[in-house]
Amino acid sequence: MNLIIRGARLVDPSLDLDTVTDLHVNKGVISAIGDLGATQASTEIDAKGMLLCPSFVDLHTCLRDLNQVQKGTIASETQAASSAGFSHLCPSPDTQPCSDAGSVISMIINKAEAAGFCALLPVAALTKDLAGTQLSNMEALSRAGCIGFSNAGHDISDNTVLLRCYEYADTFGLKVIVQAQDHALGQGHMHAGPTATRMGLDGIPVLAETLAISRHLQFMQHTGVSGHFNQVSSAAGVELIRQAKAQGMAITADVGIAHLCFTDTAVEGYSSQYHMQPPLRSESDRKALIQGIVDGTIDAICSAHQPHESAAKCAPFAATATGMATYDMLIPLALQLVESGQLTTQQLISALSTKAACIALSDVPSLEVGKVANLSLIDPNHSWQLTCASQISHGTNQALDQKHLQGRVCLTLYNGQVSYKR
Amino acid sequence: MSNPANLQLTQSGELRHFLTAEGLDRLMLERILDTADSFVVIGHQEVKKVPLLRGRTVVNLFFENSTRTRSTFELAAQRLSADVLTLDIKTSATSKGESLLDTLRNLRAMHSDMFVIRHGDSGAAHFIAQQVTPDVAIINAGDGRHAHPTQAMLDMLTIRRHKGKFEPLSVAIVGDIMHSRVARDQIHALKTLGCKDIRLVGPNTLMPNYIDSMGVSIHTDMNQGIDGVDVVIMLRLQTERMAAAFLPSAGEYFRLYGLTRQRLKQAKPDAIVMHPGPINRGIEIESAVADGPQSMILNQVGYGIAVRMAIMSMAMSGQIQQRQASASNPLSAEKRS
Repeated sequence: MNLIIRGARLVDPSLDLDTVTDLHVNKGVISAIGDLGATQASTEIDAKGMLLCPSFVDLHTCLRDLNQVQKGTIASETQAASSAGFSHLCPSPDTQPCSDAGSVISMIINKAEAAGFCALLPVAALTKDLAGTQLSNMEALSRAGCIGFSNAGHDISDNTVLLRCYEYADTFGLKVIVQAQDHALGQGHMHAGPTATRMGLDGIPVLAETLAISRHLQFMQHTGVSGHFNQVSSAAGVELIRQAKAQGMAITADVGIAHLCFTDTAVEGYSSQYHMQPPLRSESDRKALIQGIVDGTIDAICSAHQPHESAAKCAPFAATATGMATYDMLIPLALQLVESGQLTTQQLISALSTKAACIALSDVPSLEVGKVANLSLIDPNHSWQLTCASQISHGTNQALDQKHLQGRVCLTLYNGQVSYKR
Repeated sequence: MSNPANLQLTQSGELRHFLTAEGLDRLMLERILDTADSFVVIGHQEVKKVPLLRGRTVVNLFFENSTRTRSTFELAAQRLSADVLTLDIKTSATSKGESLLDTLRNLRAMHSDMFVIRHGDSGAAHFIAQQVTPDVAIINAGDGRHAHPTQAMLDMLTIRRHKGKFEPLSVAIVGDIMHSRVARDQIHALKTLGCKDIRLVGPNTLMPNYIDSMGVSIHTDMNQGIDGVDVVIMLRLQTERMAAAFLPSAGEYFRLYGLTRQRLKQAKPDAIVMHPGPINRGIEIESAVADGPQSMILNQVGYGIAVRMAIMSMAMSGQIQQRQASASNPLSAEKRS
């Protein structure tokens, strides 16, 4: 491949780069950055007004497949991820069958390789079958390609078991990833607030998150395991992580794109597309999550992509499945955060790419000359209409179906190859 | 849909579904009460039938057990001359794995005109009205903890017939507010009808968080909560609340929040006592109060039929209007298949 992208705004926080210039990819490698005036290539893109950045790394996603192909396949969902600028994804271990065996991990990785849209860096189950009683074969799973261990949304109620999970992970220097929500207090269906009370839906208090974060922080501190928190949802949760980081703990955290953009009032009218775990919280929580990214408490933005078939969302609210298919709307939502002045472009790219990559990868995607091209080109001015019928993800749980949006990825390169081109 | 009224009204503002009292204006609630008043009279006549729903099919769909609500709905539909089918869904198709969606679509295909629905999930009636069968009039007979608007309206009718205007009244709602679908709708209806002093009384474990955002005052002390009120509405306390650690014991609950003759003296001398039923004697209310001169509990049952007749006839007429409007507009998405 011989490609020149001319006149884009190149933003790469890892290089402290933010400039309008040209970029040359030759044989899959970034060969030059700067004014390429007379240089010619077989493919040239006029990218004036566009944003060119390292490709994104998703620390939390669900790709379904295996026994859930009615919701999505690894091929369909990695393609959707690629269309949102991602090159590396960390799928959650709550697959069917569960990601607690090396063979499942290998199968997931191989399927993605065959599809060729993104590399998978799976998160494996912390306990067998996510049942919270027996340790998973962490060392073998790590050799199969896992980057960390999580019990996803499943409870480990026994502190002895949890302590052993941490101790065993620590033996091999493995990362523990936590979706922090107290199991009993997390039994509700939306954020415990005025909207839940008025609608008569069981609330999930912020306490459900803070209790779980505090609990896991204590285990991390006790064992010295490096921990990561997925999908922080509340202001109080952000504050606990801020304090722990200030004490020097080796922890990181991410937030889902939906939690940065929507609040519990979106559920008004029993809109099941906004039924999420952890729940969308209040406006003050949302603002605190943004502030967490700004001050570095929250490292990364994840998609928390959870595709579902239409029947999963077509029932009375409490009976519907939780989660949103987010890949097709992620870029317009993220750009809106910049457009409205809540985040800078650098903060956004850092959270989607550089800082997220540092948590999951040793070789961080960057625009550095000489590196294999992993990049995405985004047109922030492109106006379009999102429809379930035309989107790439198989998930029909699309909160913004039929909405007119602005901003779209034009091109994604993964491992030196074009993985998405609009 | 931020305003529930949008879903409940036709384009010209007529009732077409009745899902919650929330979002309906004062005029609409008063129209329901006025219409119900006229049906109260019919209930006292020798022949109690009127032909308003003749040729219409009303299906009662009860996904939860209920004797009183179900029988008053049946009676109301029969007095309006409708064909009535009552389905106990627990023992029918859904227990064989058929989804709620498919059950309802099948019933719709039988050309039903109205579904009266009780369901354990909050928002079930909204879901059906919005996504499943928008061209069938949906009457919410109780959904989860959310709403029970026909009960709320019969309570309003009881208050209006015995106390007159709502503006000067102080109303206390006592007991398990947390799990009550009735309390939320009573608050909406009372506020819309002009009541300014609405008090909720109960322990913190039975008081939903942020309920004060609905414009009510919260009292944990019963004597203080019912002090000088015109209306005391007692809520039923389910016995399973003790097992789920909401309360230590029925005895302690009755001692602190039970309505006794002694305690009722805190309210105005002419205060009325209401209860949506079925009552737990000796748990939330003393028998002498339940059967006493200030009790409206049996009056409420009678008004329940009149209110349900009013709501069913109004929603049916709105729904027919909507169907005719849809039929004359070939682009309408709501055409009956």
